[in-house]
Amino acid sequence: MTGPINVRELAPGTSIVLVDGSRAEIVDNPGDGVWLFARYLSSPRDPTLIGQEGMIFAQDVAALGEPTTT
Amino acid sequence: MAMKGSRGYRSGLVDLQAGEISREIFVNEDIYAEEQERIFARAWLHVGHESQIPKPGDYFVSSMGEESVILCRDRASRIHVFLNSCRHRGMKVCRYDEGTAAVFTCPYHGWSFGTDGRLVGVPYFREAYHSRLDKEKWGLIEVAQLANYKGSIWATWDPAAPSFTEYLGGFTRYLDLQLDGWDGREAQAEVLCGVQKWLVPCNWKFPAENFSGDTYHNISHRSVDLAGIGPSGAGRRDMGERDVSRKLHVCIPDRGHQTILYVLPAERLPPPAYMNAPIVAEYFRHCEEEKRRRRGEEARLVGAPGEIFPNTALLSRQPRTMAGWHPRGPHQTECWRWYFVDRDAPGEVKQFLRDYYIRYSGPAGMTEQDDMENWNYAHAASRGTIARRHPYNYDQGSGTAVTDYEYQGLSVPGEVIDLTEVQSSEQPMRNFYRRWAEFMEAGDWSQLATWRGSERKAAE
Repeated sequence: MTGPINVRELAPGTSIVLVDGSRAEIVDNPGDGVWLFARYLSSPRDPTLIGQEGMIFAQDVAALGEPTTT
Repeated sequence: MAMKGSRGYRSGLVDLQAGEISREIFVNEDIYAEEQERIFARAWLHVGHESQIPKPGDYFVSSMGEESVILCRDRASRIHVFLNSCRHRGMKVCRYDEGTAAVFTCPYHGWSFGTDGRLVGVPYFREAYHSRLDKEKWGLIEVAQLANYKGSIWATWDPAAPSFTEYLGGFTRYLDLQLDGWDGREAQAEVLCGVQKWLVPCNWKFPAENFSGDTYHNISHRSVDLAGIGPSGAGRRDMGERDVSRKLHVCIPDRGHQTILYVLPAERLPPPAYMNAPIVAEYFRHCEEEKRRRRGEEARLVGAPGEIFPNTALLSRQPRTMAGWHPRGPHQTECWRWYFVDRDAPGEVKQFLRDYYIRYSGPAGMTEQDDMENWNYAHAASRGTIARRHPYNYDQGSGTAVTDYEYQGLSVPGEVIDLTEVQSSEQPMRNFYRRWAEFMEAGDWSQLATWRGSERKAAE
């Protein structure tokens, strides 16, 4: 089990995996430790999100990089 | 509460006919609480200067009465003033003095607001709120009106308040002395360095009335004058203009604004004032000549301490500074001081003035320390049961103001007392407290805009 990710350290261009399985790429980081601005690369929950930018809550960031397959 | 009831503020606690004001208005906690609603929630208040937020995303956390507010510039470069309090549970959404941000995020539960005030981020919006929260309704609380007057930012919570320039009335002439350039060009001021902030254990009205134009307390500063901290190194900072000008108290009736003012003789430029620094002296000599060329006779006005009701002080000549007296309970005031220079002044001039300004004003300024000591002990000595029974005296110069003052062809509207021979009056304080009483009694701005009736009659 890994600890929480320090989202303040994530630079634009970093790929993240969200708790719902979506993947996104960070486009801006306000540095408040709470939010990231990111563009969706995939979303099993809502495919219409792909390509859109949105605000990602820090608690929704599950991992960095590609999603882990089990 | 003592002295409350049928006597009212104007005829009881503030009795200008008798020249008496009760100490209760300085120390009574109920009156203090009423001031927050009746004065600070309705008046125009100074928030900051646009040079403090030059770029999109820049912010400066300021104060309106007891309230923390955010002065910021949004992505489209529009200026806003918001209550610094999350709409969810009230936490401050910005806890820094100043900076640059893409969003203001509440550290409590994570609600996040854009620099235009809109609620843009709600944790678990889809899951916990089922996407039903109306984000448009829950943005940051914005002031009812905002004014950018020559770069200075003012705001009021009251949508019914008159425009800022109507609120100022004839006092725009003296705020212009603060914000226009030394050489007479419009709106040249910028804030020099940061804002000094410090606490003084006194009611906010002590500094407010002092900067309304108290020339009677000059004895307090005698040691500073003897030390010669002025920019020429000897005597008072304003000795040059004082010795050649008419020295006035100018009050704007109905508005509660007032100032000391020097009026130079016709064809006379202000005497040199920076004799210890030849480059600075030459710069100001050039500026004064340019100002006379651009402004003509108006350039004969030399600004001095003044007060815009309720809690903003001006000093346009030197040190060129504005101050805010933020109430922090009946017995404490948070003083803020901004310093100004012309934005295109040479670096050497700015550096010289920076050194002089902080030597004179602010928490470490030698002159302001004298003032703070007076306010501190006067307040403490007015809190006791016996002390409260005895009013202060404000009778000095009662009945001697004129409304048609003119000096060598230059008219000065307002209620004016020429101090050149009499040295001192308390007309500015009476003007300030007359307005204070009106605010404390009036139900709304239809009663507070007392000048509109007489203007209507004049038009008829």
